[in-house]
Amino acid sequence: MKKTTLVGLIALGSLSMIGTASANDAVCGLNNGQAASGEPIKVGAIYGNAAPGDFSAATDAANAYFKCVNENGGIHGRPIQYLVENDQWNPELAAQAAAKLVKDEAVVAMVGNSSFVEMSVNAPMYAENGIMAMASGCAVSECFESSNIVSTNQGPLASSVGAAMYAVEELGATNISCIGMAIPSVGNWSCGAVQSYMESKGLNASYVLLNPAAPDVNSALLEAIASGADSILVNLPAGLAIAFLSVAEEQDLGDAYSWTSSTPLYDASVPKTLGEYWSGKMFVSAELTTIDGAGADNQNWLRVMDAYADPADPRDTFAQAGYLSARYFVKTMNEMNPVNVDNRALVTAAIQAIKGYDSDLMCGPYYVGRADRHMPNHAGIIVEVRDEAFHVVRDCFEYEGPYFEPILDAEKTLGLR
Amino acid sequence: MAQRTLTLFIVTALMLGTCTYLAWGKPSSVVGLFVVSGLAVGSLYSLGGIGLVVLFRATGVLNLSNGAIGALGVMLAWQLQQWNFPQIATWVIGIATTTLLALVYGRLIAPGLAWRDPVVKAVATLGFALIVLGITAFAWEDDVRKFALPSDKISYTLLGLRITLTRLIVILAAIAIVIAVWLYLSKTRTGLNMRALADNRDISALIGIPIVKTETIAWGISGLIAGFTGLMFGDLVRLEPFVITFMVIPAISAAICGQLRNLGVVLIAGLCIGVIESMLTLHPVLKSVRPMAPFVIAIIVLMWVQRGRTNYFAGN
Repeated sequence: MKKTTLVGLIALGSLSMIGTASANDAVCGLNNGQAASGEPIKVGAIYGNAAPGDFSAATDAANAYFKCVNENGGIHGRPIQYLVENDQWNPELAAQAAAKLVKDEAVVAMVGNSSFVEMSVNAPMYAENGIMAMASGCAVSECFESSNIVSTNQGPLASSVGAAMYAVEELGATNISCIGMAIPSVGNWSCGAVQSYMESKGLNASYVLLNPAAPDVNSALLEAIASGADSILVNLPAGLAIAFLSVAEEQDLGDAYSWTSSTPLYDASVPKTLGEYWSGKMFVSAELTTIDGAGADNQNWLRVMDAYADPADPRDTFAQAGYLSARYFVKTMNEMNPVNVDNRALVTAAIQAIKGYDSDLMCGPYYVGRADRHMPNHAGIIVEVRDEAFHVVRDCFEYEGPYFEPILDAEKTLGLR
Repeated sequence: MAQRTLTLFIVTALMLGTCTYLAWGKPSSVVGLFVVSGLAVGSLYSLGGIGLVVLFRATGVLNLSNGAIGALGVMLAWQLQQWNFPQIATWVIGIATTTLLALVYGRLIAPGLAWRDPVVKAVATLGFALIVLGITAFAWEDDVRKFALPSDKISYTLLGLRITLTRLIVILAAIAIVIAVWLYLSKTRTGLNMRALADNRDISALIGIPIVKTETIAWGISGLIAGFTGLMFGDLVRLEPFVITFMVIPAISAAICGQLRNLGVVLIAGLCIGVIESMLTLHPVLKSVRPMAPFVIAIIVLMWVQRGRTNYFAGN
C-alpha cells in the first residue's frame, strides 16, 4: 500500500514538474535564463477600461511578455519598466496619460496601446514628440492613418473587408449591407471600405450605422432588409452584435441572408451565446490565428500567459496582438546598439526600420517603415460558428480593395513584394 | 378630467402627425415593419414610465434608479440561469430582488428626504442608481451575454413582421398595468391614501393617513414593475447593465408627456416615442439624431402643457 502511494506521489510529482516545465518553456527575448538588472528601460502603454468595455487584454499580455523578458536577459541585460495607464475612454484622461508617459516619464516607446479614444486624441502628439506607438488594439482611422502608430491588430476596416470577400467568394453575396457603429472614424470608415471593395468588383453594398446610445437595434435590421441586400455583414462590438443577431433570429432571417462578421464576434463565449440557431450560418473574419492555433509562436504566447499573466487575464485576439507587439519591440531593441536603447529618436528609427518580422500569429509579415499610414496586418482567416465552437473554414488570405492599394505600394517599396 | 382628455388627444395627435410625416411616400409594407418594431420598443418605454408615475403619484419621488434596479434584477436572473436554477425561480428571485431594493430605498433613505424639494428627491435617486450600477458593473464585468425567455420561441406575424410572444406580453402588460394601477388608485382605500399623499403630504399626515405604510406599498409596486421591465429589456434589447440603466431616460420622457400623472398618456407617449424613434430611421437626415427623439418629444409636450405656468417640479 505504502509502495503504491509512493509510486503515486512520484507520478504526481513528475506530472507537476512536467506542467511547470511546460509553462516555463516560454521563449522570451534573449532567453538566457538570467534576470535583467540595472537601470530600467521605460516603456509606456494606454488602454481603455470603463463602460462600454475593458480593452486591457493587450497590455496584460504585453506585461506578461515583458515580465518573461526581464527574467530572461531583458534588453541587453537591462529590465523593462512597463508603465500602463487607463484612459477610461475619456479623451481628457487619454491626453493626460500620454503627457505623463511621453513627457514626464520619458518612455522610449509605447507598446500594446489599446484604446480607440487615446489613439484619436494622441496620434498628433506622438508624431510631434517623435515617439512610436506599437499598438495592439487599433479601431479608428486615425490609428491606422498616422505616421507614428502601427498596430498588430487589423481593426474593423480590414477585418470587415475580409468578411465581405468571403461573403462574395464563398457565399455568393452580390449586395452586402454592412452594419456599423455611428462613431466617427469607425463605422463609416470601415463600412465605406466594404462598399468600395464591392464597387471595385461591380457589386452593390450599402451601410447602416447604429447609434450605440439607441437601444433599438430592430430598426437597423429593417433598414438593412430595405436596402435589398442579400448578405449582411455585422461590424459591431460583440455585445451589440449579439443583440442585433437576436432580433434577426426573432425574424427568422438566418437562412434568408448570408451572414458574416468582423473580428469582435471572434470571442470564445460567442458560439454558445448565439446558440444552435446560428450554427453553420455565421462566418467571422479573424485578424490573427485561432486562440488554440498550433503554431510555435501562438503556443509560446499561451505559455507566456500561463507562466506570467494573471489566470483571469483574457486569452483572446487582443491578448495575442499585445504579445506580438511586445515581442517585436523587444526583438528590435535587442538588435540595437546597447548604448542607444535610451535614445527615443534612435528607438523610433529602429522601430520604423522593422521589416519582414514573421509569426504564425499573423498571416503576413510585420513591418513599419516611414509612412503616413500603417496597416501591416491585412490578411486573415475565416472561422465558422458551428456546434457551439469556431471552426476554420478558410486559411490565410490577403484582403483586396481600393483601400489597400497604397499599402501594397508601400510594401513594394520596402521590398516585401 | 376634461383637461386630461385634451392632453391625451393633443399628445396622440402630435405623435400621429409626426409618424405620418416620417412615413409619407414610403411603401406601406415598409412603414408597417417600422411601426411594429417601434411599438415593441415603445412598450418598454411605457412600462418604465408607468413605474415612474406610480411612485411619483404616491410619494412625489421621481425615481431615476428604476433602470439600474431593473438591470441588477435581470443580471441576477441571468447569473442564476448560468448556475442552472429553474427558470421560474430565476425570474422570481430577480423581481424579488428589485422589489427589495426599492423597498430598502423607500424605507431607509426616502423618509429622510420626505420634506425636501422634488428635485432633491430625484437627484438622490440618481445617486442610488449610480451606486446600484457600480455594484452591478463590479459583479458582472463586461462580457458577451444573452438572456432568453421561453416565450421568445413563440411568434406571430403582424404587418409582415414576426412578433415574439415576449414582445406581445410586454405590450399587453403595459396596458394591463395601466388599467390595474388606475383601478387601484381610484377604487381602493390605499389608492386614495396614495393620491392624498401625493397632493399634500402635510395634510395627509394630519388627518391620519398611514404615510409609511402607503409609501412602502408604492415603493414595492415600483420595484416590482422595475424588475419586470428589466427582465423584458434584458431579453428584448440587450443584457448590458449600462444600457438598461439608462433606459430610464426615454421612460422619463414618456412619464413627463403624461405630466407624471396621466397613465393613459404615459402609455401612448411611450409607444409613440418608440414608433417615432423607429421611423426616424426612414428619414435620410433625421436618422442620425434618433437618440434625441425622446427628449425632443418630452420638451415639446412639456412646453405645451406648461404654457402660462412656471416651475414644473414645484408646481404641485
